[in-house]
Amino acid sequence: MTDDTAPDPAGDEPAHTDTPSAVVAQDLTFAYPDGTRAVDGLSLSIPRGECFGFLGPNGAGKTTTIKLLATLLSPTDGTVRVNGYDATSRRDAIRGTIGYMAQSVSVDRDLTARDNLAFACKAYGVPRDRRRERIDELLDLVDLADVADTPAGQFSGGMQKRLDAATALVHDPPLVFLDEPTTGLDPKARSRLWEYFERINERGTTVFLTTQYLAEADALCDRLALLRDGSLVESGTPESLKRRVGGAVLAVEIDGGTDTASAATTVARERVLLDPEATVETDEGMLRVTTERARQLGPDLLVALRDAGFDVTGFDIAEPTLDDVFFALADESTDDLDATGDHADAAQSTGEGR
Amino acid sequence: MSTPSSDVDGNADAVVDRPTPASNSFVGDVWVNFERWSCKAIQTPATLVLEVALAVFSLLMFTAVFGDLGELALERSGFAGVGYVTFILPAALVQVAGSAAIGSGIGLIGDLQSGMFEKTLVSPMHPAAVFLGKAASELLRVVCYVGLLLGLGTLLGATVETGVAGVVGIVLVCLLFSLWYMSISTIVALASRDEGTLDAAANLLLFPLLFFSSAFLPLSALPRTVQDFATFNPVTYGADGVRALVLGRDVLTVFQFDQFGGVLDTLVPAVTVLVALDLLFGGVAVWLLAHTSRSVVG
Repeated sequence: MTDDTAPDPAGDEPAHTDTPSAVVAQDLTFAYPDGTRAVDGLSLSIPRGECFGFLGPNGAGKTTTIKLLATLLSPTDGTVRVNGYDATSRRDAIRGTIGYMAQSVSVDRDLTARDNLAFACKAYGVPRDRRRERIDELLDLVDLADVADTPAGQFSGGMQKRLDAATALVHDPPLVFLDEPTTGLDPKARSRLWEYFERINERGTTVFLTTQYLAEADALCDRLALLRDGSLVESGTPESLKRRVGGAVLAVEIDGGTDTASAATTVARERVLLDPEATVETDEGMLRVTTERARQLGPDLLVALRDAGFDVTGFDIAEPTLDDVFFALADESTDDLDATGDHADAAQSTGEGR
Repeated sequence: MSTPSSDVDGNADAVVDRPTPASNSFVGDVWVNFERWSCKAIQTPATLVLEVALAVFSLLMFTAVFGDLGELALERSGFAGVGYVTFILPAALVQVAGSAAIGSGIGLIGDLQSGMFEKTLVSPMHPAAVFLGKAASELLRVVCYVGLLLGLGTLLGATVETGVAGVVGIVLVCLLFSLWYMSISTIVALASRDEGTLDAAANLLLFPLLFFSSAFLPLSALPRTVQDFATFNPVTYGADGVRALVLGRDVLTVFQFDQFGGVLDTLVPAVTVLVALDLLFGGVAVWLLAHTSRSVVG
């Protein structure tokens, strides 16, 4: 790992605007009392202004990592600097310079949208003379101006999420942590929040998000890291990760659903001359073969399937998406992922139907 | 395996430098949270109305049902000439102080469930200020309830013999009483994290304690077992402390204390017991809050 922004052993505390890295973690470890390691020797460095995405299945350690970085948890081992401040000794300084949006909606349902934002402004010390303007600006930004004086408890889930996002940004923090910010939202609300996050990132805010939506990571992130069992498995730009999968994806739709598609993987492996690097998976009744020679092997595979008695109802050859990266790299954990929803959304959002 | 490196093309040059907002003082943080919880109370008036209604109903009901019998018992127990409404007013005040304190744990559970607990922890506010602000708002609510009930009691014919100073003393004793109950409420809330459990536990604790104390009748008019229990019942000290200030005389009968004479012979031991309970249960509640704050994993 190249890391030119390692923590200063002298302990100087640079101002958060002077440090080139928003987050620097070295050998970050968090273990529960029973010894289970939720985060295991994680090292990463995130330049300011970047939109960084953490991908991984449930239980991979994404939320624990984000809580360690946001100072809600103390590491068992390793060091973290956020906006130049040590996460153990300068928690207060970090808390003033970050925004944090938890996985579940965190708004006061008794208070109106305006009161929620006012509370956040006061909590983060936004000067009195700037509060009204800031609140109005944020209400407009998240499209809640019309319901500003309605209690948040009367909002839909999407509206509460948007309000939650706004409260994390009242103090215009240089770094925001977003833990699965669009989970549970309908596609329209999700798209709206993506635009919002893109906008604040364009303004220079460093965005650190965890997500299970691969399309979200593809759309928003400059760089991604795949987490599994508390450790980084792979990282890079979305494009570089896709390139690492290699080749294209041959997707074959087989009549008969998931079980039939699973049976078809045996045919693909036994009767078609696949490269050693090729991967064969099933997903929602689709057989997916990822290989450098997808176009050449396509006819052979279709013939082999027909000869074996399978009824092929459609096929497509597509460039790899982050879904393919994810399945290729995190195959041991894919059972935990809500594959149905995520894939449907991913394909829809990226326009990469197969 | 590779790890992300810091030399990935980032647009660090485009970063907008912005000043860190000025953080609040500790007192400022207390005020911010006091405002939040007060605002929440105002925006959910049903809770306020129901809590006051319960205490008013108790005052009216006990006066109507036990008025005559109560005055007879008072006459036989050394409280001749004291109207039953005057005698029972401290019970209603202690009840409303306890009921209002239950709201403390309910609010905490709400914050734990809604994620607001974590949200305030990750803010630059001092955690102690967060909880102090909440407690201050709840204590203000107790003051308002006590004031309302004192006014109603006066309208019904009760009198406070110790005047304005006595009224201030009554409010302070009620606050001391509500603090230990607030602590219990917080402890149960953190242990159960369930509003239904807290509500059941708090009411189970408050109402039997009210009846097994000097709240509704002089202890000498109650069975021996109740008298014995009342000695160890915090409600006895809350009710007697308030009653001493209402009647302007020593009313403590669970043990003899004759150091100062008059009201102080009840007030000093009552306040001592309540402060001790506040410190004991308050300490446990603070420890649990600190423990919960450190282990928010969600």
